[in-house]
Amino acid sequence: MHSVVRPNAWVALKLPSGSTKVLQIAPNTTISLGKYGNVSSNLIIGRPYHLTFELQDKLPDENFSRLRVVPASELHAEAIAEEEAAGCSTPAAGAADAVISATDGEEFSLFDDKGNVVARSNHEVIDENARQTLTQDEIEELKREGNNAGKDVIAKLLLSHTALDQKTSFSLAKYKLLKTKKYIRRFQVLPIDVANFAHWQLEERDANKIMDMRAEMIGLVGCWGNVHFGGDDVLLEDPKASTAQGEEACLPVNQDLLQGRWLVVDDTCGLLVAAMAERMGVLYEDEGKEAEGQTEEQNGAAVEQAATATEPQELQVRPAVPEPVGQDNADTEMADASTTPVKRQSDGKPKQQKPRPSDFAIPYSQTNSITVIHGASQPNLSLLNYWGFDITSPNHPPHPLLNHLLNLTWLQLLKPELDTSYSTPPLTATPETLASWKPSRRGNFHRKRRRYARIRHIVDSTRAGNFSGLVCASTMDPISILRHTLPLLAGGAPVAIYAPTVEALAAVSDCFSVPRRTAWVSGNVPEIEGLSHEELERWEGNERFPLNPTLLQGVSIQTSRARRWQVLPGRTHPLMTERGGADGYVFTAWRCKPAEGKVAAKGKFKRRKVETESEAATPA
Amino acid sequence: MASTTRTAVSPFLDPGPRTKANSLAILQLSRDNLQPVYLQSPTGVHDGYAEGAVVNTRYGSFPHSTMLNVPWGSQIRASKVDTGSRGRKRKRGSGDDACREATGASEKDNEDSAAAANEDSAAGVKQAVADSSGFIHILPPTPELWTTSLPHRTQVVYTPDYSYILHRIRARPGSVLIEAGAGSGSFTHASVRAVYNGYPSEGQRKGKVFSFEFHEQRYHKMKKELSDHGLGGLVHLTHRDVYNGGFLVDGKSPEAEAIFLDLPAPWEALPHLSRRRPQSSTSADEQTEWVSPLNPKKSAYICTFSPCIEQVTRTVSAMRRLGWVDIDMIEIANRKLHTSRERVGLNLNFDRGVNNSARDVEEALTRLADIEARFREHAAKPRDGDEDMDSGDEDAVPAGKSSGPTNGSDGPSAEETSSGVPPWMEGRLITRGEPEIKTHTSYLVFAILPWSGRGG
Repeated sequence: MHSVVRPNAWVALKLPSGSTKVLQIAPNTTISLGKYGNVSSNLIIGRPYHLTFELQDKLPDENFSRLRVVPASELHAEAIAEEEAAGCSTPAAGAADAVISATDGEEFSLFDDKGNVVARSNHEVIDENARQTLTQDEIEELKREGNNAGKDVIAKLLLSHTALDQKTSFSLAKYKLLKTKKYIRRFQVLPIDVANFAHWQLEERDANKIMDMRAEMIGLVGCWGNVHFGGDDVLLEDPKASTAQGEEACLPVNQDLLQGRWLVVDDTCGLLVAAMAERMGVLYEDEGKEAEGQTEEQNGAAVEQAATATEPQELQVRPAVPEPVGQDNADTEMADASTTPVKRQSDGKPKQQKPRPSDFAIPYSQTNSITVIHGASQPNLSLLNYWGFDITSPNHPPHPLLNHLLNLTWLQLLKPELDTSYSTPPLTATPETLASWKPSRRGNFHRKRRRYARIRHIVDSTRAGNFSGLVCASTMDPISILRHTLPLLAGGAPVAIYAPTVEALAAVSDCFSVPRRTAWVSGNVPEIEGLSHEELERWEGNERFPLNPTLLQGVSIQTSRARRWQVLPGRTHPLMTERGGADGYVFTAWRCKPAEGKVAAKGKFKRRKVETESEAATPA
Repeated sequence: MASTTRTAVSPFLDPGPRTKANSLAILQLSRDNLQPVYLQSPTGVHDGYAEGAVVNTRYGSFPHSTMLNVPWGSQIRASKVDTGSRGRKRKRGSGDDACREATGASEKDNEDSAAAANEDSAAGVKQAVADSSGFIHILPPTPELWTTSLPHRTQVVYTPDYSYILHRIRARPGSVLIEAGAGSGSFTHASVRAVYNGYPSEGQRKGKVFSFEFHEQRYHKMKKELSDHGLGGLVHLTHRDVYNGGFLVDGKSPEAEAIFLDLPAPWEALPHLSRRRPQSSTSADEQTEWVSPLNPKKSAYICTFSPCIEQVTRTVSAMRRLGWVDIDMIEIANRKLHTSRERVGLNLNFDRGVNNSARDVEEALTRLADIEARFREHAAKPRDGDEDMDSGDEDAVPAGKSSGPTNGSDGPSAEETSSGVPPWMEGRLITRGEPEIKTHTSYLVFAILPWSGRGG
């Protein structure tokens, strides 16, 4: 994650009203902050994140507002002054003139001992419009003059409020806060990381798109899925297949190299993948550079010698070979507009000096990877555009996700022979024939061969199984997902399924209920009699046993909710309202390897009820 | 910082495909009953067991030899282990618990079982014999499993809290994290997993956790635990009172981006976590150069973990004065849900958990009408004095029964009810909370300390 705003980076601007603006900071442009004014993008670029800026009054000969960094002491000035005021024994002493304090406890003693009113209770309802002597026109005029970043307006508003002395200290503080939110010309620049982005998408954008996934749930799914950095990159050596060679030259899947891989089903438009990539260190470009640097050390030799007889001149995806990342490559207009293809200009630098790998070279790391299974022919991972990754782009500038994110359809996983791109053998051509072709035809030829090799690798390595975990946030029935993914998980691998509502997860959990498991292992199930251990592992399910109930252990459902508090001197309490909607639930379990043959549980043996005794004592 | 090169990756980070000797494994005895075990290769009679080291549980005895080199997640059958004679032996022996070596035990004994044991150690180790019943599962260690099974030393930061905290303080591969109050180590394990991006070789900067523990005994236990878990190269544990000592390690800055304080008085430690010398520091150390433990080129994220609201007030107040922004106080409420089948109805078995009352109004109506009809039928018969009451009762009960064809001896066999629905699919699927919930763990205060952009 970058520590300063880079040109063309996506950032979140937090405005005084509490709303957030997410946009790309293109150099030499003006960013509109709505009623708070305009700011020149060049003034933000290169600044650290999390600073709060104040728009200063335009200088007479300048047509833009300069920015001032607001120190934290100023941001917290009121709270600190209130605390100090509260520290003094006498209410309304010194500091209370300067700031509006709500900590004196006046609310509860309306009169002092001489009978003077020191504060009003809220019995007298104050109609704000009636009491504000400034007209709307006058306020507009003040705003146009726009002095002192809006602080003048706020001060004038407070002064010209006729009923100010009738307000209770609490309502006064509230009034000032309200006016500050409206008129103060400040903003804060936040980085677009998964936490900030998800919060914005949930609270201000379209919560549906990310299946109402709150920060608590992202954290839980990631931890229970045990998602973490899965080892340094391991790339397969280029087979250096000549163009005359067909599928026989494809690299076989080496099971021993495959590790630290997670299986994902994501219907949150890529937020889940982004959260996992962040946990695995493959989401941000500068982090990726480090990893790729190591990759090169290990595999550089192979890549360098990967010259083939013919050199395709055309478009090429070269993710495995690191090259300097020009931030200005990213030229996205609407990051999550999946319908419009995102324009990407390739950097104007001359093509890489290194010889290109052959068509059958596999760019994917064998470790630390995410495999996405999707129901449509293309995965919907449009939100990844906010992190500079566009899955639909054929000629992508370097990004760590390029060689760590693999995707395949359910058809390719379950019935690959029906998938055309998997089952059609690759084209072959002798170098002579190839040389006689037009460049465009040659380009197509290489593109198809590369595509074939990649799909073949993804499908074969996924079907080889041994995944380190399954993480899932899907609108599909989780039982059907588990039926096909459980056999792919390594022993002891965790399963974490997120769902906005509990019903579907309860149904999964019920598939592993103690009575069902007991019945399954009791040996009285006609449908599984005579099935081998492997056949049971790939149990197709029926109505009575939708899943093999012995494949998961420690099945559990949980929900978490963060409650936010306001912490102010004398006014600490939980927030009055928060976002409702779906609560969010997480199903967790571990894949286990049942022992072959009948296994009886230990427990008290009651003669009377033979069929239920084991049920009572079955562990888990 | 001594341990830099390590060949073995911690089982927490990469357990490999199979269980290994001298490595941590988690035994799942039942749903929420987990037991950590360091698996040992059987080298001979161990603690009186001919099979080598044995784990005894209420689900049977499990010699380590049966749990070694098996795929993770395997279901392990219990073995027939001679626990009885061993117990007698130890009672008769010197009663010395420390005398756990097999050789010592067998030397003292001249019983025939001991002779057998000697034979075994000569021939190797006794082969474990599978028992007819009893099993457990063996799982690879993860911070979640460790958190539920670890030996408690202090209050534990549980998964619902630490998952949220690590997400909020942006602990990611490559981050450097400061943790003060290592406590029982649950947060330490979770944060190592979060920041891990490979073991650092000499001079390399990799994700790392700098952990501080004030309590000496806990420090030593923790130190041992970390090296047992292969995390020594990734966690730098220091025995220190951070209120006075601060967070520098060997006078150098850890350059941390993320901080977690699980201390009784976080505000005492906060001044050390500044970018510049805090004003309150004494004049004595003004001569020396003040070094910030924070990464000078990145925003620092903090979370403090305090159970009481008064602690929060003071912490937040201190943060405001020390330049922290985006101060946010959060409380996490987590609930576990159990799913079960709610079985209500007159015609169900008298099983445990079955509510034998009417399922709906119609069922109640049918039964009432039934009883009523029988009663009338009975009333129509000529009366016979005081038998009236009894016979009325006798009739009423079978009336209820007759509508429930599954009851009594004519009920169906164990597998299925007469309706063809197996018992595990009867009734309505429901979820309900666990009987006891954690309503309050601690308040979490989050904040961010930006850097100025000029460094330092």
